[in-house]
Amino acid sequence: MLKLNHKHFFLLPGLIVLVAIIIFPLLFTLRVSFSSWDVVKPGLDWIGGKNYVRLFEDMRFWEALSRLSLMAVGSVLIQYIIGFGLALLVWRDIILKRFVRVLFLVPMMTTPVIMSVIWRTILHESLGPANDIVQVLGFEPLNWLSTGGMAVLSVILVEVWQWTPFMFLLLLAGLLSLPDEPYMAAAIDGAGAFRTFFSVTFPLMAPISVGALLIRLIEASKLMETVYVLTSGGPGTATETSSYYIYIRGLRDYQIGYAASLSLTYLVIMIISLTIIAKVLTYKMARD
Amino acid sequence: MALVLQNIDLREDGIAHLDNVSLEFKRGRLYTILGRTLAGKTTLLRTIAGLQHPQRGSMELHGQDYLDIPVWKRSTAMVYQQFINYPHLSALANVMFPLKRAGMSRDKARRRARAVLAGVGLSGFENRRPGALSGGQQQRVALARALVKRADILLLDEPLVNLDYKLREQLREDFQNIFKGQDDAIVIYTTTEPAEAIQLGHEIIVMDEGRVIQQGNSLDVFNAPTTIRCAEVINDPPMNIFSGTIDKGHINLQGDVRLPLPSHLDQLSEGPYRFGLRAADLSINGEIESEVELSEISGSQTILHLRGGIGSFILYEEGVYQYAIGSTVNVSLNPDRIYGFSVQGDLVAAPAPMSKQWR
Repeated sequence: MLKLNHKHFFLLPGLIVLVAIIIFPLLFTLRVSFSSWDVVKPGLDWIGGKNYVRLFEDMRFWEALSRLSLMAVGSVLIQYIIGFGLALLVWRDIILKRFVRVLFLVPMMTTPVIMSVIWRTILHESLGPANDIVQVLGFEPLNWLSTGGMAVLSVILVEVWQWTPFMFLLLLAGLLSLPDEPYMAAAIDGAGAFRTFFSVTFPLMAPISVGALLIRLIEASKLMETVYVLTSGGPGTATETSSYYIYIRGLRDYQIGYAASLSLTYLVIMIISLTIIAKVLTYKMARD
Repeated sequence: MALVLQNIDLREDGIAHLDNVSLEFKRGRLYTILGRTLAGKTTLLRTIAGLQHPQRGSMELHGQDYLDIPVWKRSTAMVYQQFINYPHLSALANVMFPLKRAGMSRDKARRRARAVLAGVGLSGFENRRPGALSGGQQQRVALARALVKRADILLLDEPLVNLDYKLREQLREDFQNIFKGQDDAIVIYTTTEPAEAIQLGHEIIVMDEGRVIQQGNSLDVFNAPTTIRCAEVINDPPMNIFSGTIDKGHINLQGDVRLPLPSHLDQLSEGPYRFGLRAADLSINGEIESEVELSEISGSQTILHLRGGIGSFILYEEGVYQYAIGSTVNVSLNPDRIYGFSVQGDLVAAPAPMSKQWR
């Protein structure tokens, strides 16, 4: 049996914070998800699993989830490819290396909401400079935000622009930590630049790549501000993500009980899917 | 058929790493480059491999210019003093790597890699990554990766330096067997240890401060180092050097030490000289009073660092003895083993070769 003494009291502040900001809200949300708390009837009445039954029949939620998966995975992969390319570019000695490295980080240091507002202005179909450039290049103006496919692409574009620097930073740190020796060996062993990248750099970067991809996937799965500012989930529900849909149900429609069940389901799905992704990536890395 | 280097100069930040180096390496022979740290040994190997580029000079392999060939196209294999392998690949995949780069089929590469791994004593370790192998095994993987290429030039840059004594001894013996199978290759081996250079035999090249200071058969270089610098490098501990004169049939050293002139020095005219004597050619029980500055035990030998009237010197004594620092010992010098150098440091007379005495 645990014998309490003075040292355990040092744990108390942390424990209180943990209970107050994580455990209590989680348990309370769980309880709320079994209630019909809404704008008409606020309170913790017990309705059993009705919210969860409704959720499984709510196609809008599942569509938002699959859309989120597409946008998150798509944008993170593009961020990884561009970030890796940029990191490789400034890894070795180039002119103004330090300046270029800092320059690449500017988008990441900008507030996401403000960045989205700027992008909304840029992509404005009649007033924005994006279509001016398109027309100067001799193409028809594009419906950046008013057709489904283009709106999804626009959200991905803004996400990529904002978060590629983060990927760049992680991957550059990884590249700078790589030992020189395998490169000397590869050169002697007859590997040119292309082969050295695929046989040495890429495999050696695997642990860092997995970490960077997972961090960004976790972040991207919460995709909300960009959608909120840029498209408000539209046109229709074309860019509506899970977080945004939960926000609509909970804080716009005030269906607190139902939104709680959506949140918890979303949380469980994210934990399971990200765990599977992490396991697959780690397994592949170990095997390769 | 040879690798010929002529007047190679390589400078970095104003420091000459290679200074007018001209050498010829013949196929089927083992060359040992001996020199202290910063002598230019590694730079020379890296230049031959194509990892560094000289500012001046030429390099030809089998009569064709070799300097303009990029590193990955050179028929060169190299083992470094660090255990350099691909950490993300198994031992087998490491050894297969150069073969796959050369376009060999996977099956054939695997068969050859397995055979070479067995040759360096790593059967059963094929699937382990370098991180799961000991230092000696990692270096064997690196050696196997170098051997499997069957390159024209095999470069070994102090491959034993980071291994413990036992492993070093074991691998040194293995090397001799492995090198016997390299009849078509030029094998160049660098070391800082004279004993290793002499044990490996064949030809020895002594380097110092980026220059080649002597080249020849290993025992010939050991028996007749042409300069004081070379005598210091080829001996471990370094050859003791004393200043003195030859006068009236005697060698006069500092501190009023007078020795009879040995027969191999009697053709030298009278005057100032510098005299060299190996640590093993001094012994305890003589008349030269000296103070013990340091006493070391190495294996079954005792190495004494002494200071007396003749200056500071080192004495090698067979057997393990304890000497208190600051105590006094009486030392004698063996005049028959004294080397005569000019004041400028060039060899003018050497004793009879050691090899003849051994027979």
